[in-house]
Amino acid sequence: MRGLRIFIGMLLAVLPCSGQRVAINDKRAPESLADLREIQRLVQAAMPAARAATVCIKLEDGFGSGVIVSKEGLIMTAAHVTGGTDTEFTVVFEDGREVKAKSLGLNSDTDAALARIVEEGEYPFVEVDREDSVQLGDWVFALGHSGGFDKDRGVVARVGRIVRTASRTMQSDCNLIGGDSGGPLFDLNGKLVGIHSRVGDKLPENLHVPSAEFLKNWEKMMSGEFMGEGPFAQKPEVGKGYLGILVEGREGGGVEVKRVGSEGPAKEAGLKPGDVILKADDQVLSSREDLQRILAEKAPGNRIALEIERDGGSEILTLKLAHRDE
Amino acid sequence: MNKLISLTVLALSSQFVPAANLDSNYRTSGKQVHQAFRELQPFLQSSSAVFNRGRKEVTFGTVVSADGHILTKASELGEVQELVVTIDQTRYESPVLVATDPAWDVALVKVDAEGLKPVALAERPALERGEWLVANGAVTRRERRVQVGVVAASAREVRAAGGAVLGVELDAEGEGLVVGDVSEGGGASKAGLKKGDVIRSLDGEETKDRKSVLKLLEDLRVGQKVTLGIEREGKVMELEVELAGRTDLYGEEKTRNDGMSGEYSARRTGFPAVFQHDIMANRHFMGGPVFDLEGRCVGMNIARFSRCETYAIPAPELREIIGRLVPAGAGS
Repeated sequence: MRGLRIFIGMLLAVLPCSGQRVAINDKRAPESLADLREIQRLVQAAMPAARAATVCIKLEDGFGSGVIVSKEGLIMTAAHVTGGTDTEFTVVFEDGREVKAKSLGLNSDTDAALARIVEEGEYPFVEVDREDSVQLGDWVFALGHSGGFDKDRGVVARVGRIVRTASRTMQSDCNLIGGDSGGPLFDLNGKLVGIHSRVGDKLPENLHVPSAEFLKNWEKMMSGEFMGEGPFAQKPEVGKGYLGILVEGREGGGVEVKRVGSEGPAKEAGLKPGDVILKADDQVLSSREDLQRILAEKAPGNRIALEIERDGGSEILTLKLAHRDE
Repeated sequence: MNKLISLTVLALSSQFVPAANLDSNYRTSGKQVHQAFRELQPFLQSSSAVFNRGRKEVTFGTVVSADGHILTKASELGEVQELVVTIDQTRYESPVLVATDPAWDVALVKVDAEGLKPVALAERPALERGEWLVANGAVTRRERRVQVGVVAASAREVRAAGGAVLGVELDAEGEGLVVGDVSEGGGASKAGLKKGDVIRSLDGEETKDRKSVLKLLEDLRVGQKVTLGIEREGKVMELEVELAGRTDLYGEEKTRNDGMSGEYSARRTGFPAVFQHDIMANRHFMGGPVFDLEGRCVGMNIARFSRCETYAIPAPELREIIGRLVPAGAGS
C-alpha cells in the first residue's frame, strides 16, 4: 500500500509539469479540505518561479507591474502601464534589484503591451500558456506590486477563479488594486494565462487580458507597433514632435542651428547656435524644409538621429522628441 | 451600405465567442466553495466573539481564555459597558475592559464565562503565500459563517502613515518651541500639555526647533511614550506623552484606490508586525481569529487596509500580546 501511494504521489508530481489540465479544475467546486489543500499545494508549488519573474514597473509618473516571459528579459504588461511605444522605465525585482527597460509595441484596444529589459543578462521567466487552455471556473492566482514596490512586503498574491470569459477579455475574482496593472495571472501549472488590466464595477470582478490576445499580435508588438485606437493608450500624434531648434540651410551642405529653445530636447542634448547638422535619420539635409519634412512624420516620443559636425569630424546625437503643444 | 454592415457583422461574429459567466455560488466567495471549508466553521463558532451595540455589529473578537478573556480591535470598540458579546449561541452582557495596547490597537475584554474554547495558536514557521485562511464573515445571532482568502504577502512592520505624532501644533517662529493648538484626543492633550508651553526636550534630547522634534519622532512608533521636558510660566516640568499615528489623529485624504469600495478600518496603519491576506472583511469584521485549514489560529484580523488588503497580527506576536495582557492564572 505504501509503495502504491508513493507511486501515485510521483505521478501527481509529474503531471502538472506536462502542462495538462489539473484535475481539481474539473470539479465544479472543491468538495473538501483535501481539495482545498490540493489547490494550495499547486499554487504554492508554482509560486517561487512566478514571484521571481514578477516585476514592478517604475515610470516617471507612476507604477505598475509586469512579468518576464523570456530569458533575455522580454516583459508582458498592460498598454495603460507603458502608455506608449519606446518608453523608458525601470524594472524592480522583488529583492529590490533594478534594471532599465523599454516598451515595445502595444494594443490599445485590448490593453496588451510588450517591453524588454535593455541590460543584457539572464532573467527569471515564466512560461506563457500557448494553448489558450484557460476555462471558466478554473482556479488561478494573481501576483502584482499592489500600490507600488514595497521590499518588506514583496509581491502580493491572490487566489481565485475565472468568473467570466468573453471574446477578448476575461475576469477573475482575484481582487486587484492600483499598481497591480500589468501584473500576471497564472493557472495552477504556473503558466501565464493573462495580464491584469482593469478593476470591475463590482469588487470581485477584475479584468485580465488573456495571453491569447498577446500571442495573436506577437510579431506586431515585438516590432514596436502601436496597434488599435482603443482606450488604453493614446496614439502619439504624428506631426506634433518637437525638437526646439531653428535652423537655416548652409552653403556647402547641412543646416546651421540659429536658435535653441529654452526648453526642449535640443537644449537638453546641448545643441548650440552655430552647430551644423549634416543629416537627420541618415538623410542629408540642405535646407530648413528638409528637416521639417522629416519631423512632420514623427510624433512626440519618437527618436531622431542627428549627425552633427564636430571638430572636423561628425557625431551622432539621438534625441527624443517632445510634444509641440506642451 | 447594408452590405457593408452585414459584412462587418460577419467579420466580428467569426471571431466572437459568447461571453460566459460563473454562477455566483461557485465563485471563491460563493456558497458552494464555502461548503468545502465547513469543517472549520466550528472553530469560528466556538472561539470567535461578536460585539454588538444594540443590533449593530461593532467588531469581532478572539477568545483567548476559558474564563472569558477576549482580544479585539481597540479603536472599533467605543464604550465597552454598553456592548453585548456573543460567543457561539450565548450572549454575555456588561463586558469589562481589562487592558489595551495602543501600539497594536488591541484591547483585552473580559466577560463572565466559563468553559470557553480559546483559540489554539499555531506554532509553525512563517506563513507562505497562497495558503488558505478562514475568518468570520457575516454572522447571525446563532451562527458564524466563514469568509475565505489566502496569505498574500510577507509578514512585516507597517509604519504609521505620516509617522507618529505628539498631537500639537508648534509655533515655529520666535523664541523656543512654543506649543500652539493642542489636538483633542491626541497624546499631548491627554498628558495635559497646554497652549503656550515651551518644549525644551524630548526623551532627554534638547529640542531647538520643529525640525529637531520631527527628527526624534521619526524613529518612534505609535503607542510609544515619550517624556517631554517643558517650561510653563517659568516652571520646568516633565510630561509623558503617548504617540498617535498622524492619520489616525488627523484623518487622511482618500486616494483613488480607497474610493473604489468598502469600509476600511479607521486605524489601518502603524502596526509592529502584520501579515497580509485577501479576505475581504469590512472594518467591523476585524478583531476575530484567522484560522488555517487545520483550525489553528494563525493570526487575528487587525485592519482592513484597502480594497484588497487586510492585515492580521501573526500568531507569534499574538502569543506575546496575550501573555502580557491576560492576567496570570486566567483559565486557558
